[in-house]
Amino acid sequence: MINRRHFLTTVAVGTASAAALAACGTGSGTSAGETGSAENPVTINYTWWGNDDRAERTRKAIALFEEKNPDIKVNGNFTDFAGYWQKRATEAAGGGLPDVMQWDLSYLRDYGQRNQLLDLGTVNINTDAFEKSLLPSGQIRGKTYGIPTSTNAFAVYYDPAKLASLGIAEPDGSWTYKEFNEFLAEVGAKSNGEIFGSTDYTGVWWMFNIWLRQNNIEAFTEDGKLGFTKDDLKKWWNQTAALRGTPAIVSEERVTQLAPKSPFGSNVTATEVTWDNFMAGYLADSGAKELKLAPVPSDDPDNLGLFLKPSMLMVASAKTKFKDAAARFIDFMVNDPEVGQIFKTSRGVPASKTQRDGTTFEGTDKLVVDYEKSIEQYLKDAPEPPIVGFGTLEASFKRVASDLNYGKLTIDGAADAWFKEAEDLIKQNA
Amino acid sequence: MTQSPTLSRRSSSSASPLPRKSRQRGADARAGYTFLLPWLLGFIALTVGPMISSLYLSFTNYNLFEPPKWIGLDNYTTLFQDERFLQSVGVTVSYVVFGTPLKLAAALAVAMLLNSKRRGQGFYRSAFYAPSLIGASVSIAIVWKAMFGDAGPVDQGLSFFGINLGGWVGNPAMTMPMFILLTVWQFGAPMVIFLAGLKQIPADLYEAASMDGAGPVRKFFNITWPMLSPVIFFNLLMETIHAFQIFASAYIISNGEGGPAGSTLFYTLYLYLRGFSDFRMGYASAMAWLLVIVVGIITLIFFRTSKSWVHYSGDAK
Repeated sequence: MINRRHFLTTVAVGTASAAALAACGTGSGTSAGETGSAENPVTINYTWWGNDDRAERTRKAIALFEEKNPDIKVNGNFTDFAGYWQKRATEAAGGGLPDVMQWDLSYLRDYGQRNQLLDLGTVNINTDAFEKSLLPSGQIRGKTYGIPTSTNAFAVYYDPAKLASLGIAEPDGSWTYKEFNEFLAEVGAKSNGEIFGSTDYTGVWWMFNIWLRQNNIEAFTEDGKLGFTKDDLKKWWNQTAALRGTPAIVSEERVTQLAPKSPFGSNVTATEVTWDNFMAGYLADSGAKELKLAPVPSDDPDNLGLFLKPSMLMVASAKTKFKDAAARFIDFMVNDPEVGQIFKTSRGVPASKTQRDGTTFEGTDKLVVDYEKSIEQYLKDAPEPPIVGFGTLEASFKRVASDLNYGKLTIDGAADAWFKEAEDLIKQNA
Repeated sequence: MTQSPTLSRRSSSSASPLPRKSRQRGADARAGYTFLLPWLLGFIALTVGPMISSLYLSFTNYNLFEPPKWIGLDNYTTLFQDERFLQSVGVTVSYVVFGTPLKLAAALAVAMLLNSKRRGQGFYRSAFYAPSLIGASVSIAIVWKAMFGDAGPVDQGLSFFGINLGGWVGNPAMTMPMFILLTVWQFGAPMVIFLAGLKQIPADLYEAASMDGAGPVRKFFNITWPMLSPVIFFNLLMETIHAFQIFASAYIISNGEGGPAGSTLFYTLYLYLRGFSDFRMGYASAMAWLLVIVVGIITLIFFRTSKSWVHYSGDAK
């Protein structure tokens, strides 16, 4: 009983304060109506997820924006990724989403399709400098809900110094899954289990998505159903069946212990398969002098299944009172060359050509840009925004794969468990 | 308490005795409710209101964005086909069943040690009470996670004695013992109540028993236990209800995921994930109400069985 009371009180207080905060933000400066002036500026709220490094860069960008636009003040606020979505959910329930938000593709449908986000096609944002193949990933049913700030692509990270110390040659371009698995096993064997090959890459949803594309299968159908079968999923999880429990793959116990840091960032593995814009974070975490990027494995050398994904999008709340100010801030964040100089590749490679050309990339930033150039010939269209509830599916994919690595589930059992959750979720949101 | 105002008013009033008495009672009640008002308003607005709305939501499909859709008992029936739900019940029940008695045993044992006249007892009492003041905090959960991690102090300490368990945090078999240790360590609150109860037991009972040649074990079971039984009952009830509520430490130690392998997926954590990560508020509300009902039933059972083992002073038994 007490339990409920505490829980509900927390919820009620949380919602009330979120609503109150939002009211403060959007309430100030309304005397000037929808627009402000230098003497009487409007204040818009902007929120993002990220670490201290990104916070520092964002503050610089905001200061620059306010300098160029004296009629607008930007009130910034940030949290980490996991807490970010829980906060947005409570704010949306209370009708008080911030005016402008950094957004992830995984949650675009959840909020866009439910009329929480502003159709950016109705305001003035310049998208001339964007690749035409990239923009649809921010669009749902003909409406533009998000503008990509930057792109990222999947890659295999490796630490050249670690490979050299083990006497293993660096990867040279393309490799098949068999070759990649042998490489991981070699790292584990030559290091006597001191350094693992990698985390189990079959537990990463996006890598599965890429493998499906290599086999010409789309993950989701146009009407929001699953595009692959249980057998496809079993086949995928079988890829590393022989490696689980060997030094080729870091044990799930270690992964859990190290969380929220990654095993690669903790110098426990020699490679990691993930998004290329994690470079700066990995360098900081691991203290390595240099990290390099190789393309993902594929059994078809002409089809790597790779695509550029918007690493993040800029969106506005459907209820914002300052559409014009919000649009100008988004336009500035995605197009301004000086913003590119501030963020470099920490958000991903700038999506707007104006911003990209105005940014000088050096050192590791150059590595990321060069990697995306090197895979250009293999790139396919960016995926459409995934289905409603995709964030939940992605999380449960990781969780079920983790249970598989713990040996709590067989491959058949894991596939059954995930499909049951996915089908239940799709039915719920239908 | 109301003696003196009643007397003074009676002397100044000249109305007939009967209505005066009831008017008096009415005035007292009004004053009482006035003092109660701040709490009552909070109770209705922040507790009763949300509880009623959550009862309604538990019969709906509600995703926070769209108006709730009435689906009757569907949420309640699907609960029992949800393997994660059943897992969370299992985890929580084993925590309550093992954690609560151990915590109470520790609290009682320490209270008995502290219930003697030695120098510095005040210091020991404060020292043993301290963990329960800070135990529920976020920082302690983080410290706990570090202590039981790979190559943490616990792992190293045990390795010194030749026990190599590795880190507990990542091992699904060891997370429950870790949480039970965390709750046992916070025995301070029930201990203080036990100590107060022990001080109430008349010393002549023990003296008489000693004269009759009773040993410490005999004294414990024939004097301490029955004399302390109302306090034991109170502590057992409170700690059981408290144990069902475990959330913050589980959320922090497992990064809000209930891992590894679902071994820390406590009931309230799963409820929270369902509501705020999966946007299934109706489902979460149904879980919350089921917990209210179950805790209510357990409390009722405790009260029914208490008649056979709880002795209040002045009882014929």
